[in-house]
Amino acid sequence: MIYYQKDIHNIVTLTLDMKGRNMNVINHEIREAFVPVLRHLQEEKEKSALKGVILTSAKKTFLAGGDLEYLYQATDSTEIFAFAEEMKAFLRELERPGVPVVAAINGSAIGAGFELALACHHRIAVDQSVIKLGLPEVEIGLIPGGGGIIRLMWLLGIERAFAILKSGRRYSPKEALQNGIIDELATSEKEMMQLARQWLLSNQEGRRPWDQKNAEIPKGTARDQATAQVIRRLTANLARDTHPALPAPRSILKVLAEGSKVDFDTACRIESRYYTQLVRSQQCKNMIKAFWFDANYIKEGKNRPSGYGKFRPRKIGVIGAGLMGSGIALACLLNGMDVVLKDVSKLIAERGREFVEARLKERVARGVINEDQRAEILSRIKTTEDSSDFTSCDLVIEAVFENRMVKQKVTREAEDYLDDFSFFATNTISIPITRLAEATRRPEHYVGLHFFHPADEIPLVEIVKGAQTSPETIARAFDFVRAIRKTPIIVKDDWGFFAARVRNTYILEGITMLQEGYSPALIENLGIQAGMPIGALSLADELGLNMVMRYEKQAAEHYGPKYIQHPAVNVLNVMLEEVDRPGIKKRAGFYDYPVEDAPILWTDIAEHFPVKTRRNIPTEELMNRFLTAQVLEAIWCMQERVIHSIPAANLGSIYGWGFPAFRGGVIQYILDRGVDAFTRNCQRLRKKHGQRFQVPSKMKQILAEDHMATEKA
Amino acid sequence: MTEAFIYDALRTPRGDGKPTGALYEIRPIQLLQITLQSLQKRHKLDTALIDDVLIGCVSPTDDQGSNLAKAAVMYAGWDLSVGGMTINRFCASGLEAVNLAAMKVRSGWDSLIVAGGVESMSRVPMGSDMGPLLYDPEVIQTINYIPQGVSADLIATRDGFSRSDLDEYAHQSYERVRKARSENRFSQSLVPIYDQNGLLILEEDELLHPNTGLSELAALAPAFAEYGDWGFDHMARIQYPEVARVIPMHTAGNSSRMVDGAALVLVGNKEQGSAAGLKARARIRSAATVSVEPTIMLTGSVPAARKALERAGMTAGDIDLWECNEAFASAVLHFQRAMNVPNDRLNVNGGAIALGHPLGATGAMQIGTMLDELERQDLSTGLVTLCVGGGMGVATIIERV
Repeated sequence: MIYYQKDIHNIVTLTLDMKGRNMNVINHEIREAFVPVLRHLQEEKEKSALKGVILTSAKKTFLAGGDLEYLYQATDSTEIFAFAEEMKAFLRELERPGVPVVAAINGSAIGAGFELALACHHRIAVDQSVIKLGLPEVEIGLIPGGGGIIRLMWLLGIERAFAILKSGRRYSPKEALQNGIIDELATSEKEMMQLARQWLLSNQEGRRPWDQKNAEIPKGTARDQATAQVIRRLTANLARDTHPALPAPRSILKVLAEGSKVDFDTACRIESRYYTQLVRSQQCKNMIKAFWFDANYIKEGKNRPSGYGKFRPRKIGVIGAGLMGSGIALACLLNGMDVVLKDVSKLIAERGREFVEARLKERVARGVINEDQRAEILSRIKTTEDSSDFTSCDLVIEAVFENRMVKQKVTREAEDYLDDFSFFATNTISIPITRLAEATRRPEHYVGLHFFHPADEIPLVEIVKGAQTSPETIARAFDFVRAIRKTPIIVKDDWGFFAARVRNTYILEGITMLQEGYSPALIENLGIQAGMPIGALSLADELGLNMVMRYEKQAAEHYGPKYIQHPAVNVLNVMLEEVDRPGIKKRAGFYDYPVEDAPILWTDIAEHFPVKTRRNIPTEELMNRFLTAQVLEAIWCMQERVIHSIPAANLGSIYGWGFPAFRGGVIQYILDRGVDAFTRNCQRLRKKHGQRFQVPSKMKQILAEDHMATEKA
Repeated sequence: MTEAFIYDALRTPRGDGKPTGALYEIRPIQLLQITLQSLQKRHKLDTALIDDVLIGCVSPTDDQGSNLAKAAVMYAGWDLSVGGMTINRFCASGLEAVNLAAMKVRSGWDSLIVAGGVESMSRVPMGSDMGPLLYDPEVIQTINYIPQGVSADLIATRDGFSRSDLDEYAHQSYERVRKARSENRFSQSLVPIYDQNGLLILEEDELLHPNTGLSELAALAPAFAEYGDWGFDHMARIQYPEVARVIPMHTAGNSSRMVDGAALVLVGNKEQGSAAGLKARARIRSAATVSVEPTIMLTGSVPAARKALERAGMTAGDIDLWECNEAFASAVLHFQRAMNVPNDRLNVNGGAIALGHPLGATGAMQIGTMLDELERQDLSTGLVTLCVGGGMGVATIIERV
C-alpha cells in the first residue's frame, strides 16, 4: 500500500498505491498503513539517517477525498468527532517538525486528499490541466475536517482562505500555484521528483509556520481591527449570497474567525466541532444524496436505454450563433470536440467564435488553461453559413429562435448533409419535439436537447424524447451530454418538459399570493428565503408572462375538462390584457425595467392588486407553499412518466431552476420533511388553498423507488 | 420597602485560564449563553418577565467587548424585551451586579433581574483592555499604583504574616475544596459545558494542581518579586515609608488562579417571582461599596463588610458564614483578623486560591456557593465580600427565607 524507497542522499520516497482500487482514497486503512511508516521515519531521523520524505502516488490520482458513504450514514457526534480528530492527529504526525515532507503531486488531490498535501511541508505538482486540486467540500454542504481550513488560513490569511474554501473550486496546478495552495510546478513527473529532492537538500528543518515561534497568520487574526472588519464584511456577504440554511460557507467563516484567535491545535478542534455539526445536519445529508448518490446514479447510466454501444462524439454542428448556440459550442470545444458553427451569414456566425474566444481568454487569465491550450481549442471551431460544412458531423444541434417554421427549415437544410450514423437535436423550450420532427426525414434520429442558459455553465440538459425518437438516439444523446460533462435527464415531450413545467408552479404560486393581497416585496423576499434563487414575480417577468400563461393553458389542454384552472390566471389576464405588462421584453411586468437602472417593482401594482392589512403574515406557510407546489408538480411528472427517476428529478430541479440544494432536490424534499408530515401539510394546504395541493395518488410508490432514500424519523 | 429576593444562582465550572484550559475554545459569549439557557430551562422561565441582565466583566474588550451582556441575551434567544448591561467593578463586578440588581428591585423600578459575571482569562487576559491605571506613567506615578501582587505582599509584610501563614491558609483552601467536591457540594449549581453537538467539554472545576501539600507549596518561588525588583516596592514605600522592604511571599500556590467561567444570580421582588413560578431562596439584606488607600489596595473588604453590617443593623456576630474572596492569602488573613471571624465560618468550601478567580464572575459565584452552603448547613445569614482594585471593597449580606 505504501512503498518505501531510500536513496543515497537519505531521501525516502513513499509511494501510495492502494490495493484493489483504481484510486487512492483517504480512509482508516491508509491511516493505519502510515503508522509504522511514520514511526520508522522518526527512528531514521533520530539516527540522522533521514534527509526528508517525498510523498507521491503510483496511481493517476494523487489522493481522492473522504468516504461519502460513511458520512452519509454517520449520525453519532462522538464517533464523527473522533473520526475528524483521528484524521487530524495523523496529519499532525506527518508534519511533525524535524522530518520535512514534500508532496509530489502527480495526479488529482481533492478534499481530504488535498488536506494531506496541505499537511506536507512543500507541494510540487505536475503542470497538467487534467490534474485537479482543491477543497470542494462546500459543494456537499460540508467543510474540510482534517485541518484544511486552519492550514489554508495560516498559509494565505483569512480572506484568501475563505474565498477558496467558499468557492469549493477545483484548481489546475497552474491555478493552484497562482492561488498559493501549492509551491512549485513541474513540467513532468521526472522534474517533479528532481525539484522535490532539490528542495529537501536545501531545506532541512521542515517546520510549518504554526509550529514556529512568533509566526503569524498572514494579514492578521480576528483580533486585529482591520481583519475583524473584513470578517464583518464577509459575514454580511454571506447573508447576501447564500441562504441561511446552507450551513457550510457560514461554518467556514466561523472556523476561520474563531480559529484565528487561538493556537493551531485548538483551532483544529474547533474545526472538528463544526465539521461534526455539519456531517450530522440534514442539509449535508441532502446534498450528499443529490451531488454524490443521485449524480452517480445518472453517471452510471441507469436512465440510459441499454444495449447500445457507447457513442463518442467527435464533431458537432451547431446552428445559431446566439448566446445559446455559442454556449453549446463552447461546452463542446472545452471537451475536445470539433465544432461547426453555422448562422445565416458567416459574419453572424463569427460572433459565436468571438464569444468563445472571450470566454477562453478569461480561462487563461484564471490559469485554468494555458496559451497553447487556448489556441488549440480555438482551432477546433469552424464558422460557416453553409450547411454543407456539416458533412461528417456526428450530431447537429439547432439553437435558433423559438419558431417552428424556422426550426424546421434549418433542420431540413442540415439533414441533407448528414449521414445515417449522425443524429439531429433541437434546443427548444416550448415547441413539441414530435411536431418539429414531422418535417425531418429521420424522425427516429431526431431528439430534443434542452440546454439552460448560460449553456456553457449550467450542468444540466433535458433530453426530450419525441414520439418517434429511437432508444438508440436517446442513448447517443445521453452519451453526448455526458461527454460535455453535464447531467442528462430524459424527459417526455409534454408542455414545458420537466424543468419549465415544475418551475412554472413556483411562479404561479407567487402570482396567486399577489391576488390574495400579499405585497409583491413580501412575495419576492419569501421566495428567496424559501431557498429559491430569485423571486417568483421576477422570474415570471424574465420568462415573459405570455409564456407562464402558455404553460398553464397547455396543462389545461392536456388534462381536459376535469382540470381546475390555477387561480394565478386571473392575475395573468389583468397583466396581459388590461394593463399590457407582459414582462422584461417590454420593460414592463411585475417590475419596471428602467434602461439605466436596476429593476424596481411596478409602483402601481397595488391599484390592481391591493395589499390586505393582516395582523400576522403567515411567512412560514407562504414559503412552504412555494416549495410544496413545485414538489407536488414534480411528483405528478414522475407519475405521468414525464421524468423517470428520482435522481433525475432531484438534480434536474437543483441545476435546472435552482430548487434549494440543501433540500436535496424536489423529491428529496419530501423525505427531508418526512412523508407523513409532508402529506399532512398538503392536506392542510389543500383545504385552505384548493385542489392543486392534492397529493398525487402514487406518491408513496414513487418514493419507494428511491435507491438511497433515508427518511427523517 | 420592596424586598429583593434571590431565586437561584448558577455557575459554569471554572476552566484553567490558559490556552491549554478546557474552556479556552469556548468564547465568553458562549459561557453566558449556555448559563442563561440553563437558567431558563431550569425554571421554565418566561424570559419576557425579566427586565434586565447585568453582567460583570473586568476586561470588557475583544471577545468580551461591546456590551457582552446584551449580546449574550440576544444570542441565548431570550425575549427581545430583555435588556443587557456590562459593568466593571474590577474583581467585585459579579457581586456588584447582584447588588445593583437588588437596588433596582428595591427601588421598585424593576422587578426581575439576572445578575452575574463572566471572564475568559484564557482568551482575554488581564490587562487586555489596557487603560491608564496599568499603563499610563503619569497616572501610575501620581497615585503610586502598584501591581496587586506587590500590594498583597505589602499587606503580609505590614501585618506580619509569614510565608508559612500564607501557605497554610492556601493549603486549607485546597483541602476544603477537595472535601466539598467529594461531597458534591458544588454539583447542584454547576452548568456543564457542552459543544454544539452535545459533546461534553467540561463538567466540573478543572482542578489545577494535584500537589498542594504544605511542602510543595513552600517550594514555590514568589511570583511578584520581579515586579518588586522593577521598582514597584519603592513605589509602595513612598506611600508606606515605615516599611523597610516589601517581602515577596505570594506565590502561584497561595494566590488566586486565573480561570474561565461565568455565573448568574436571579434577583427579583416577590410578585414577579411568583408570577414566574419561582421560589425565593434568600433575601438580600444589604450591600455596600467602599474604597481605601489604593497602594495597599486589598484591604477594602473590611470597611465594606462593616458598612454592610451597619446598613443591615447587624453585628459580625449575627453572620453565620463568611465568604471573603481569596484573591491572595494575605487579603483573607487580614480580613479574618480585622473582623475576628472564626476559621470554621470563613470560606468553608475553599475559594479562589484552589478553584480560581474568573474576575468578573467570582462575586456571583460566591453568592451561589454561600447560598448552597447556608442551605446545606441549614444556617441563616451569610456575608460575601471581595477586595477590589483601586482600594475598593464590596460586600453583600444575604439571609435565607
